[in-house]
Amino acid sequence: MLTTDALREYGAAVDEGLARCMNMEQFYLGLVAKAAADTKIGELKEALAAGDLDKAFETAHALKGMLGNLALTPVYDPVNEMTELLRSRTDTDYSVLMGRAEEQFEKLKALV
Amino acid sequence: MQDTSLRGQNITRRVLVVDDEQINRELLGMIISREYEVIYAEDGAEALRIIRENEKTLSLVMLDLMMPEMDGYELLAQLHRDEVLRRIPVIVLTSEKSAEVKSLQLGAADFITKPYDMPEVILARVRRSIELAEDNLMIRATETDELTGLYTKDYFFQYCSRHDRYFPDMAMDAMVLNINRFHLINDLKGRRFGDEVLAAVGGCIKGTVDANGGLACRCETDTFQIYLGHSEDCPDRLGQLTEMIRTKLGWGSISLRLGIYHNVDMSIDIEERFDRATLACSRQRGTYGTSYCVYDTEMHEKELFNERLISEIDKALTERQFKVFYQPKYDIRGDKPVLASAEALIRWFHPELGMVSPGAFIPLFESNGLIQKLDRFVWREAAEQIKRWKEAYGRTVPVSVNVSRMDIYDPDLEELLLDIVRSNGLQPNEYLLEITESAYTNDSSQIIKTVEQLRADGFRVEMDDFGSGYSSLNMLAALPIDALKLDMRFVRHICENPRDMMLVEMMLEISRRLGIPVIAEGVENEEQYRLLKSAGCEMIQGFYFSRPVPPEEFDLLIEREENKVKC
Repeated sequence: MLTTDALREYGAAVDEGLARCMNMEQFYLGLVAKAAADTKIGELKEALAAGDLDKAFETAHALKGMLGNLALTPVYDPVNEMTELLRSRTDTDYSVLMGRAEEQFEKLKALV
Repeated sequence: MQDTSLRGQNITRRVLVVDDEQINRELLGMIISREYEVIYAEDGAEALRIIRENEKTLSLVMLDLMMPEMDGYELLAQLHRDEVLRRIPVIVLTSEKSAEVKSLQLGAADFITKPYDMPEVILARVRRSIELAEDNLMIRATETDELTGLYTKDYFFQYCSRHDRYFPDMAMDAMVLNINRFHLINDLKGRRFGDEVLAAVGGCIKGTVDANGGLACRCETDTFQIYLGHSEDCPDRLGQLTEMIRTKLGWGSISLRLGIYHNVDMSIDIEERFDRATLACSRQRGTYGTSYCVYDTEMHEKELFNERLISEIDKALTERQFKVFYQPKYDIRGDKPVLASAEALIRWFHPELGMVSPGAFIPLFESNGLIQKLDRFVWREAAEQIKRWKEAYGRTVPVSVNVSRMDIYDPDLEELLLDIVRSNGLQPNEYLLEITESAYTNDSSQIIKTVEQLRADGFRVEMDDFGSGYSSLNMLAALPIDALKLDMRFVRHICENPRDMMLVEMMLEISRRLGIPVIAEGVENEEQYRLLKSAGCEMIQGFYFSRPVPPEEFDLLIEREENKVKC
């Protein structure tokens, strides 16, 4: 079961996320659980694999907003880096960043 | 945009949150719902539909920029293009600095960055954006005249003052434009057409000021004020404006009069500048075609003179610069004229200006209400004089005093007159009241009521200046009066113009049948006196017997009368 302690241990800035939710813990944890069930990480990976940088940017940008608002720092950081690169449609190797994002996202899912 | 009349009432306002990301919508919605009713849209197209459906009840839109279907920029652009929807404030939700400039250009009211700020910050920004937009709406609603789209008077003056602050060296003209006989347009063609005329005039003025960088307002029903950069080609401007209005209305009968105060003096108040233009405009009252008049030195000097008289009236009363003169009225029914009464007439002996003509100060004081001060002074002086003559000669010489139109509406009039009469030991029937004919025609029912009450108290009432205004014969029958004073203009030419004499005879005949004695004013020579006497006129006042004289000279007239009786 997802707890704030577990999220803190994971590396999330829980106090920041909670403050945004007016310190309503259950509401915050509910949103985090919804984020963990989101499918955009997979969509981002697919878009990158297909070389569709426009689609990749839109997906990364949406992910970044959602993860940032919930202060899920470990997965937010690599997604943020990718978003900035994709903003200028930088054609580079995203596999390391994508790998980090996937790894952290899996960890988050495991917490839920 | 929500009705601004809800302002200050405890009514929950509605906010639309637009974001394609469910988690963001939920998070923001939770924060906003603390104070507002929240509705949601997942993309721009859905948002536009909801905004249109809720345009009258929606207080704010919180808009994500990157969305499928229609993105935030496109939605902003569509809202900005719509005259109604653009008034709903939009807060843009963005994580990018670069988006802020573009959003601002498209009309965004504020930004909230992602990741979101603390909830208190978000709520404060939402509150402020809604308040600002509602204030703006309220100002818009009160600053413009709905019919013409021009400013209202108060805002107009504020914007003129602001214009002067920004362009202190720019030469400006203040103009006042009036539609000739607008009330007749309303009467003859209906109020709806009257409104169309006002809208057309307002529209054409707006077109002119917009094109030339000026300002304009509708300050009264059919009066417009215009503040424009100085130009010498006013006749052309006025001609063009009149033509524009005629074309717009498809009606060629409209005519305008324009008062211009050229190259205004920036050191005087903006209101005063337009007072000068108004003065120039009023000089053309009664003209038929389109015309204009420029405020000039002569008007300026007259205005300064009037200002001086107004500012000095109290001092003049205290220092007794005003004197009451008396002009006798003679009863000419018998073989010899008999002194019957007198009229009290005020004179102003100014220590520097000399004798100020009553024609200079009486109409002025009538126009601003100061006449009441003078009337009260004359009423007291006249009553004291009747008392003095009574004591000196043992007889009453009734004195008539003027009661201005404004006095008639004074609820204390009756009490005041009774007090003046009683405090001098007089009876009301020893005191005569002259009420000008034009007062009767203005609001006859009120005046008739007041006059009836005064007559019931014992006062005798004479109608002054009869025939000088728009008299109607049937009015004569309805009026409660004790005497009728024929205006001097009727009498002036009775010797050389038989038609004038015929008119006088007709009025005398009518008055006789109604049982109202007639006093002819302005009788200057024996021939006039004889004609009037033979026509049956009862009383005469005029230079033929005596000009208005100070009390000590009037004493001699009484004494002469007394001696005649003794002889």
